[in-house]
Amino acid sequence: MDVEGQRPMVSWENSTLAPVDRLRCERADSPTPGLVEGTEPGAVHQSAMFVHTQSFEDLTAEAEEAQREAELDQTDECTQELKALVVGEKTIEEQHNNSDISSESRAKEEDVSSEAWRSHRKHVFVLSEAGKPIYTRYGTEEALSSTMGVMMALVSFVEAEKNIIRSIQADGCKVVFLTKSPLVLVGVSRTCQSDKELLRELQYIYYQIVSLLTLTQLNHIFQHKQNYDLRRLLAGSEYLTDNLLLRLDRDPGLLLSAVTCLPLASSARDVVSSSLQTAKAKNLVFSILLAGDRLVTLVRKKDQYLHHIDLHLVFNLVGSSSSFREGEGWTPICLPKFNTAGFFHAHISYLEPASELCLILVSTDREDFFNMSDCKQRFVERLSKRSAYQAMKEALKCPSYSVEQVGIPELRHFLYKSKSSGLYTSPEFPHLYQSDEEQERLMGLYQDLHSHLHHPTRPLRSFYRCSQTENLLAWVTSGFELYLCFSPLGTKALAVSAVNKLLKWIRKEEDRLFILSPLTY
Amino acid sequence: MLMISPRMASGMQEKQYTPSLLSFFIYNPTFGPREGEEEKKILFYHPSDVEKNEKIRNVGLCEAIVQFTRTFCPTKPAKSLHTQKNRQFFFEPEDNFWIVMVVRNPMVEKPNKDGKPPTIEYQEDEILDTVYGAVVRQCYSMYKLFNGTFGRAMEAGGVDLLTQKLEKFFYRYLQTLHLQSCDLLDVFGGISFFPLDKMTYLKIQSFVNRVEESLSLIKYTAFLYNDQLIWSGLEQDDMRILYKYLTTSLFPRHSEPELAGRDSPLRPEVAGNLLHYGRFLTGPTNLKDPEAKFRFPKIFVSAEDGYEELHLIVYKAMSAAACFMISASVELTRDFCEQLDALVGPQLTLLASDICEQFTINRRISGPEKEPQFKFIYFNHMNLAEKSTIHMRKTASVCLTSVHPDLMKILGDINCDFARVDEDEEIIVKAMTDYWVVGKKSDQRELYVILNQKNANLIEVNEEVKRLCATQFNNIFFLD
Repeated sequence: MDVEGQRPMVSWENSTLAPVDRLRCERADSPTPGLVEGTEPGAVHQSAMFVHTQSFEDLTAEAEEAQREAELDQTDECTQELKALVVGEKTIEEQHNNSDISSESRAKEEDVSSEAWRSHRKHVFVLSEAGKPIYTRYGTEEALSSTMGVMMALVSFVEAEKNIIRSIQADGCKVVFLTKSPLVLVGVSRTCQSDKELLRELQYIYYQIVSLLTLTQLNHIFQHKQNYDLRRLLAGSEYLTDNLLLRLDRDPGLLLSAVTCLPLASSARDVVSSSLQTAKAKNLVFSILLAGDRLVTLVRKKDQYLHHIDLHLVFNLVGSSSSFREGEGWTPICLPKFNTAGFFHAHISYLEPASELCLILVSTDREDFFNMSDCKQRFVERLSKRSAYQAMKEALKCPSYSVEQVGIPELRHFLYKSKSSGLYTSPEFPHLYQSDEEQERLMGLYQDLHSHLHHPTRPLRSFYRCSQTENLLAWVTSGFELYLCFSPLGTKALAVSAVNKLLKWIRKEEDRLFILSPLTY
Repeated sequence: MLMISPRMASGMQEKQYTPSLLSFFIYNPTFGPREGEEEKKILFYHPSDVEKNEKIRNVGLCEAIVQFTRTFCPTKPAKSLHTQKNRQFFFEPEDNFWIVMVVRNPMVEKPNKDGKPPTIEYQEDEILDTVYGAVVRQCYSMYKLFNGTFGRAMEAGGVDLLTQKLEKFFYRYLQTLHLQSCDLLDVFGGISFFPLDKMTYLKIQSFVNRVEESLSLIKYTAFLYNDQLIWSGLEQDDMRILYKYLTTSLFPRHSEPELAGRDSPLRPEVAGNLLHYGRFLTGPTNLKDPEAKFRFPKIFVSAEDGYEELHLIVYKAMSAAACFMISASVELTRDFCEQLDALVGPQLTLLASDICEQFTINRRISGPEKEPQFKFIYFNHMNLAEKSTIHMRKTASVCLTSVHPDLMKILGDINCDFARVDEDEEIIVKAMTDYWVVGKKSDQRELYVILNQKNANLIEVNEEVKRLCATQFNNIFFLD
């Protein structure tokens, strides 16, 4: 907790602006005492599974990427990439053909000059630096080519002044620009989200596209032919971006830069983890077991970490397509936070046909399908002999919990993120927030709290908002982030005591709610 | 404005630049619709020495931004453009007339070793749109106060007259913009009222009535004490901008002689009349001067049929100031001014000392002032009343606040949140510096409190604010 608060503190006791040095120990501990990082409920016991992510700040950290790109330029991987691309293209199309979300069902054929089109809550456009349309969330790219041309013109005009365009603000509407050469992403939003939140979402879309093609490939294509129509390569994969945008509106994990777990007794989870651990292979880097959108366990190669963005892209890939249910899938995937240059190859399959349990084995070798298939076999064989398998299947029946179990009156919902493990826990959405609309509204409230706490220059320790519809409290320490939603009847005194009570409850349940002992091969 | 950051002490010379005005221009896209005629669109451009093509380019960008934004919201125009280096604010006060203000983001210049040019880091999240958007609107209101609408100048003398007027007004006005000290108070653009007991208030009202009766030319009167308003006969919006002009421009320019003491050469001759301290702040400085000119600034205020043009007479005695407004169609003479001086001078002097006395008594009753544990800003949208214990005296050049600029910006952030919904709301935040900031919005009123109780918790902070509301605002905030 003490790592924070390093900004100069200023007192106006004597009406001066002189900075006052204060002893750290004088610092307040309200609303309730904090916990040292790494000891908060949900903190991992050994080393974490993920690359350490404080928050979305690291989304904007470009330095390491630039460095990686520089390294890439030195190696001639072109031929290999092109081969990879062919595989990629084919697989994407196959998925598309099998997928139940066909592009016909997308709201594509909209009149882009209609009020209905205009009034969508959030538009997302992707274009090339030549101004060629690559993706639009609503309407067809063809109909929007002139609009996208104007977008590109604005970007280049400001660039010509050695400046960078960030956003346009109008009443109740904003346009946010993100240039990620060779792509330009534009978001148009009628939500209350801050520019930073919208940029974070555009970053996700950017990484989604990179995960299909690799950045090296993208650069290569546009260096070769500036005018290239990238839709030719991405055809059939738009549903991934569509789906990701839906997730961004509804999944707290993408907001928190964290992942949530299937609640499971730690004894059972440990058995599953160690079964995965023994089913290893030479080129296997990550073994991920999912239950729907929840992580059951993740085993990784020593020293190799998975970034939460990459993991969310994997979640999105698996969750967006039903084709993996029909057998063993084998697909190239670039994990852009790991390496923007090359493809991994993912073996994706469900443990049982009708089960929610999906196993993803990530290998570095393109020819590794049969090895991975064998790994899965070994894992399933080993696991099926253990009682943990039954326990896990039982746990699947109630993959979440209700907020009533926590026993705090007036508390409707909460999000708790353990910073050191990158995992979060949250009860299911209560009755009041069951509809998509209400759920998105609640997420909007959380996003708002999040952007206040994580303001780039004026971050806050806590934020309490009392309105007609709900009372909200957000609190961040070096160990955790906590967001609570109360009914409007909840008082401030209740909110303060709720924090204590909730932290105690999470501590008591942490064995079940978090992965406390992640394994490596 | 350049400020040296405290980090400088560590050896590396790091320079911090506050936000500054990069350019300010006014254009009308309908004035040069054809290619090659773009320059005709530009009615005013500051700085004027910018090369013609660059002016055209910058106006072109604004037009493109406005046009582009219409693709998505045809009814709501673009208000600002954020870029890495600056922010541009757009305002269309009259059909097709656009005012654009470009403000450079604050930046830090970090020196590099080995003679490399310094690295410049732009601080992109420091400027609040609401604050500078309000500054642009204020620029227009001030122009309109002294010149009437753009449309009026167009009717009277076409583009030539309008450009002349814009040039004349903004050349000087822009020099008085102090962008680095703009804050939430600019968003409110409120009026500070002088607290007064009933008796004294009635005295002032009867004074105004008497003067208006004796000098029937007077159409409107406003009365201020200590830069705070007591009485006004103008419409609220007109008073708001007039108040801004008086307190940030006219009064500060004339305060020195009064502070200078009786025998100082700075003090203007009291016209041989020791019966009163009254003097004209606008118009003639010395009535006895045979060369004296009886010209007063003209202002435009709203009237039933659009606007009316008025002479603005500002007359001051000690800390009391009276503004008399007379229809511009009347020519003001020496006679009238002498009459006014003789009538108002002695009475205003007396009133000023009455108010002063009353004020001192009231202060004594309320007990010795000890430094409170909180500072606050209050604003009422209904009567524009504003009160701040955060701001020290606001002068023409600087607005001194007694809290850290970051805290002021947090207040601004909360204000933006409040503006989004129409409902009553309360927000309590704890800053990284452990200060608590509380914002309350209730029925058109907004209150912002900064508490210096670092060890307090949410409940204690709430209690503290409740106490403040009870003592200072008669419990007008009910939302708990």
